[in-house]
Amino acid sequence: MKVNGEHLFSGTQQQVWDLFRDTEVMAAALPGTKKMELVGENTYEAVMHVRVGPVAGEFSGQLVISNEDHPNSYTMTVEGRGKPGFMKGTGDVTLTAEGENQTLMGYAGEVQIGGRLAAVGQRLIDTVAKSIISQAFEVLDQVLAERVSAEQAGREAVYKESSQSDYVSAVAKDVIKNILKRPGKEESEK
Amino acid sequence: MNYKVIGKRVKRVEDPRLLTGKALFVGDVDLPDMLHAAFVRSDYAHARIKSVDTSAAKEIPGVVGVYTAEDMGDDWEPGPPLVIPPPTLEDVEFHSQRQVPLVKDKVKHAGEIIAVVVAESRYIAEDAVEEVYVDYEPLPAVTDLEKCLEPGHTLVHDDLESNLAAHLIQNKGDYEAAKKEADLVIKRKFHLDRGAAGAMENRGLVVDWDDKNQHLMVWDATQSPIPIRNGMADRLGLRTHQVRVVAPFVGGGFGPKIMMFYAEEMVLPWLTMKLKRPVKWIEDRKENFYATTQEREQIQEVEMALSKEGKILGIKQSIIHDTGAYDPYGLTIPLNTQSHSMGSYDIKNYTSELTVVFTNKIITTPVRGAGRPQGIYIVERMLDIACRELGLDPLETRRQNFIQPDQFPYDHEIIDQAFTNLVFDSGNYLPAYDKAVEAIGYEEFVKVEQPKLRAEGKYVGIGLVPFVETTGVGPYEGARVAVEPSGKISAATGVGTQGQSHMTSFAQIIAEQLGVEVEDVSLVSGDTAEIHWGTGTFASRGAVVAGNAVNAAALDVRQKVLALASKILETPQEELELEGGQVRVADIPEKSISLGELAILANPFRGAVEPGTEPGLESTKYFGPAYGATAFGVHGMILEVDPETMMIKILKYITVEDCGTMLNPLVVEGQIHGGVSMGIGNSYYEKLHYDENGQLLNASLADYLIPTATEMPYIEVHHENTPAPNNKLGTKGVGEAGAIPVPAAFAQALENALEEFGLEITETPLSPNRLYELLYRREE
Repeated sequence: MKVNGEHLFSGTQQQVWDLFRDTEVMAAALPGTKKMELVGENTYEAVMHVRVGPVAGEFSGQLVISNEDHPNSYTMTVEGRGKPGFMKGTGDVTLTAEGENQTLMGYAGEVQIGGRLAAVGQRLIDTVAKSIISQAFEVLDQVLAERVSAEQAGREAVYKESSQSDYVSAVAKDVIKNILKRPGKEESEK
Repeated sequence: MNYKVIGKRVKRVEDPRLLTGKALFVGDVDLPDMLHAAFVRSDYAHARIKSVDTSAAKEIPGVVGVYTAEDMGDDWEPGPPLVIPPPTLEDVEFHSQRQVPLVKDKVKHAGEIIAVVVAESRYIAEDAVEEVYVDYEPLPAVTDLEKCLEPGHTLVHDDLESNLAAHLIQNKGDYEAAKKEADLVIKRKFHLDRGAAGAMENRGLVVDWDDKNQHLMVWDATQSPIPIRNGMADRLGLRTHQVRVVAPFVGGGFGPKIMMFYAEEMVLPWLTMKLKRPVKWIEDRKENFYATTQEREQIQEVEMALSKEGKILGIKQSIIHDTGAYDPYGLTIPLNTQSHSMGSYDIKNYTSELTVVFTNKIITTPVRGAGRPQGIYIVERMLDIACRELGLDPLETRRQNFIQPDQFPYDHEIIDQAFTNLVFDSGNYLPAYDKAVEAIGYEEFVKVEQPKLRAEGKYVGIGLVPFVETTGVGPYEGARVAVEPSGKISAATGVGTQGQSHMTSFAQIIAEQLGVEVEDVSLVSGDTAEIHWGTGTFASRGAVVAGNAVNAAALDVRQKVLALASKILETPQEELELEGGQVRVADIPEKSISLGELAILANPFRGAVEPGTEPGLESTKYFGPAYGATAFGVHGMILEVDPETMMIKILKYITVEDCGTMLNPLVVEGQIHGGVSMGIGNSYYEKLHYDENGQLLNASLADYLIPTATEMPYIEVHHENTPAPNNKLGTKGVGEAGAIPVPAAFAQALENALEEFGLEITETPLSPNRLYELLYRREE
């Protein structure tokens, strides 16, 4: 499965870079993340609860950051396994300054899935992946806005944690959007 | 032959038990002290196993044991090759790779078994499966049939030099010379993809080792109880009489249940002997997609040479056939494809190169049709394309290419799946074809209805495809028939039943020969305690091979009955008749004796049985044909395509079947209905999607669509009768026939419905999505 897209952040390239390299922020932004800790240089261990249609369960695995070109780009490699199967992915993240206070984040990668996750969850995985990403951006936008305004006001930033129910409703919304969408020419069978 | 019972529409005697839930299936077997097994299956299609940690699973209360390949020690041994490669063919390359009970070092397809958990209940066993931790080293998966043969490609089997499983070339005549004479040579590439058999009952086993009695009792949802008994005894170091295998009622076989030995069939007997307790395992639907064999994946490049009048001068074919991770079933499927690639036609020149490859996918073995649908598909597709290019009438072109009645027996000069010469024993194709043209209303549709409907903006098309089916191959089957002292008949055959109505149609044969009612015959099929020799239910051969064995045994018993009755009634045998359970003198019906009385007299408690005779009115006979019986037929359909959704509706479906003598037309029609339903699935719904990593992406009945009642048309079945010349009953098989021509007819009808788009179909199964893509790509 290919995953790619872009997102415009309201912050400087450095602010966005810091945001992405903040383990706590990332853990909070990715729905279902139960644990994320730095275990080595640029290597994180994470536990994430994922639900894809009828398939649900905990995945544990490693996230490795490589090819770091501060503050422009890096490569992210994820490998996770759990009772519902496994996933493995690599993605390139790029940050480009857009004017004074905006940063365009682009990502492109490929994810492999296997086991029950592939067998039963295939039909929904695309939508779920997109939901996870869009929800993460929503949280990151909020965090970034809070950071920027806290910085300007010279105060400590306060974050609101996203809940599992936010995530579930976001997925549901996306699934319905997908069903209502007419098939386009660009969609091809897997 | 004028029969009284054979050929009658007798209602199935097994139905009352089946319909009221009183029939025994493996799932019903429940023994005291029974344990339950569940399997740890690989999520990866290709991975090295670094270690397996079973410690957490073993600690769960109720778990009796968790075993890996290592625990099997010297008892670990791959399964036997089921079908060996053909020794009759020269220059055959064949690499045998056998499936294993539990994976030792390297996983070769997703779902392969790494460990087994045995527990007090299936619930506990399944929970414990989740606690077994396997440390894998994932490897790239081999999935592409063409790329997998490139040098340096990842290997499925490290002990081989490449992913080539087999290679052979079959030749008839001289294709290259024929090509030079041709007015038209067309070349196309075809993709034929995988589907599941999708039997309603999944596989299952209950095994019970009785240590005091030194006897192993096995209930197995198999199509092949006798070879399973033989193989299990051999694997376990037992004598065959120490093992009894019962294949009770089985809810659908369709081929995969004759695969031997499945890993579970190797592991469970080992467990019961080790634990000295009965063990049960019933495959669940999720497992079925990974643990039960599949079929039909091939890529074919085909060339057809024709004269401008449409006479087929020759076919050149290259088949790449996917055997999956192992090849226990040898070359049966692709040899069948070759046997059917000339269809019903008299083609003098044929050359076919077969390449079989190993991939990291589930093993393929025959599924109803067994390679035949692929053959019929390519030859019929090529003919349709040729007719378009030459501007010829597809009906007339087919008629002039048919093998003519006086050409039978027709020697195709190639080898068939039984490794014997492919000979079509008999046939008369034209009357069947004309009957189908009439039944579908071809002229009326093409000239009147279709133009009218097209004017209304409807996309309707017609498909009409003739086919052949080689059936009833050897080696042999047997049957035992005995008259009981009650006058009722007991019979047994090794050919187990998975819904084929053996208990009715074989009873009809016996009732015919012994003059009893069908209800008075009790037939056991699939119990090794009842008959010692046999192979199983496959290749559309029950009615031919077992049917003729039943007939031979019944005739022998009839002879014994007549001989004894003649003595007692003091009347020559020729003047006796068997009727209503009695032997009576034809002219003096009151002078009679019942079969029961004769049975008692034939088994005296005192006195002596005459030298040279046997006690009882019983006989066991075998039948083995030199070569098969070739059935044939025609399927026709009219369908409508919704241009918005690409959903299709089959407006009319007709078949003409010729399976020689019908034992019971109701049963024949039932087989056709079931076959057509599978064929429709193979045409438009049932495709197993694998990704490039060997992951099956639609392994559930939510995503893998099996046609249901709403997709099924009313099927009109017409019959022709060209009796098989090489067996006494004149029967030919019909079990697979229904499924064989459907994808070819379906493609033809679709192309016809979408004529204005100039669509050419070279792949199956299709789907609404896929058809949408094909149309869009053409537009671009």
